[in-house]
Amino acid sequence: MAKVLMKGNEAIGEAAIRAGCKNYFAYPITPQSEVAEYLVKRLPEEGGVFLQGESEVAVGYMIFGAAGTGERVMTTSSSPGISLMSEAISYIAAAQCPCVFVNIVRCGPGLGGILPAQGDYFQATKGGGHGDYRLLVLAPDGVQEAVEMTMQAFTLAEKYRGPVMILGDGLIGQMMEPVEFPEDLATEPINNDDWATNGMSTRKSKKRNLVKSLFLDPTDLNNHNLALKAKYDQMGREDIQFEAYNTDTDYQVLITSYGTMSRVCRTAIDSLKEEGIEVAMLRPKTLFPFPEAAIYDAATKDSCKTVISIELSMGQMVEDVERCVKGQRPVEFYGECGGDIPSPEKIIDIIKGII
Amino acid sequence: MIVIDYTNNLRIVSLSINMNGIVIICGNYGSGKTETAINLAAKSRQKGMEVKIADLDLVNPYFRTREVRVYLEKLGVEVVLPPKKYMHADLPILTPAVAGMIQQPSELTILDAGGDDVGVTVLAALGDYLSQKNCQLIQVINPLRPFTETIEGCLKIKEEIETSSKLKITGLVSNANLIDETTPEHIYDGYRFINEVSDTTGLPIEFITASSRMIPELDMDRFNCPVLPIDRKLVPPWKSI
Repeated sequence: MAKVLMKGNEAIGEAAIRAGCKNYFAYPITPQSEVAEYLVKRLPEEGGVFLQGESEVAVGYMIFGAAGTGERVMTTSSSPGISLMSEAISYIAAAQCPCVFVNIVRCGPGLGGILPAQGDYFQATKGGGHGDYRLLVLAPDGVQEAVEMTMQAFTLAEKYRGPVMILGDGLIGQMMEPVEFPEDLATEPINNDDWATNGMSTRKSKKRNLVKSLFLDPTDLNNHNLALKAKYDQMGREDIQFEAYNTDTDYQVLITSYGTMSRVCRTAIDSLKEEGIEVAMLRPKTLFPFPEAAIYDAATKDSCKTVISIELSMGQMVEDVERCVKGQRPVEFYGECGGDIPSPEKIIDIIKGII
Repeated sequence: MIVIDYTNNLRIVSLSINMNGIVIICGNYGSGKTETAINLAAKSRQKGMEVKIADLDLVNPYFRTREVRVYLEKLGVEVVLPPKKYMHADLPILTPAVAGMIQQPSELTILDAGGDDVGVTVLAALGDYLSQKNCQLIQVINPLRPFTETIEGCLKIKEEIETSSKLKITGLVSNANLIDETTPEHIYDGYRFINEVSDTTGLPIEFITASSRMIPELDMDRFNCPVLPIDRKLVPPWKSI
């Protein structure tokens, strides 16, 4: 298929359709409202439904209801909206319903601003809602990857029977890039007759399915949490994604960065290379499960003296990086969180400052 | 006639862009209105015209004319924007200065509207001022974008824009591109497509666009309309060096 020029938000909407998602519920918020604008035009053409909730709280539970039937369903929002949905996300994770949440992150805290940020790393990876749950979190660095990850997200949500989150900063939603939609990423839904409340008339089994998050018996609840934990451990074994950049050199500094910030770092790395300074980057594509072993291995290469995490936050992913490096190398941090993305020149200065 | 030195081998674009007075740039969301507006302003100023440009994009939160204010002002283009403290707001702010620039237009006054029908609603609010003036409303089309890859799609957007703005579109611009992945074939296909839209609507093609880096590769004899060279200004931060 020929490439088309799409805004990240539109491309996420189209990717959901290509992945077989026919249910999209949302509430508008900058900088992701174009997903809804796109899907309100496109979904009816595909026999799908877009419903705008009266708030993000309502949307969260609309997603829960639809996901409970086993239908492919997605919502998109931005930071404050995801905060409002977080209670529902906890319920959905507990009730083990597959669905896709997209957070096109803006600056916080509070209303913050409408410009790009990565300040929702903790919220996404450590649980914005309550209880022992984890989200599988995918972090694209551009529009093409946003397409591919959105399509993968539906497959992963069904594999692990739970919510999957796409975490993209505001630029991911707003920038335009040429994209294509890989047909091989569209998968057939997994049979869900054993758990989904999809109607007795359509399935062979006459077992009564119940979608719930309430377990009053302590032993039952502990076993339930152990089963959830086993899924999160499986994610760590089977679905870690990362990109290693310039790691086949004798680099002195290892950058950890993700999303659009990593693209600025890449430009800086290329520019430093021309000056004879080798710097590598380890870019997590899944923020949970986190590429722990890859970061440890890259950080402890003989030539590597320092690790620096560069983020559009005040220091969030860096805590996971420090955990992975296990004190073997100093871990530095640079971040901005007002909405301006540091320039390649700024990153070059920072790297030169720590060499 | 405009003579433009694009490269070392001097090329001449023999057809001049005939845009003056009040020019309103509209089109579907993401069709490239703002890059077109910025480059039309810059090139017109560089050939000596007195140029004003207003950012009327009330629907797009990023990548707006306001982000290249310094570049345009250095060239001597007057840029009319919302008050500075609202520069990064997603609020529909229409500064009163826009009405003023319509009442007293410069040689070329460009109004960069927002995308789709919602983006031009603001023009209806300026209707009292615009109705007293002669203005051109040009529809920018990138056939490599969703919803405008067919003639029907372009006509639908045209009608929606006309209904919402209470103005009639007077001309067409082809802005066929895939940003850095654009090939000459995309420009030729875009030119063929805009001719079909022109034949269907009866609207003239005001000009087509092409990246200034690509212009040396293009066979200009294939175009029966002016070509506006585009130097992309709204780039993501990693492309800033």
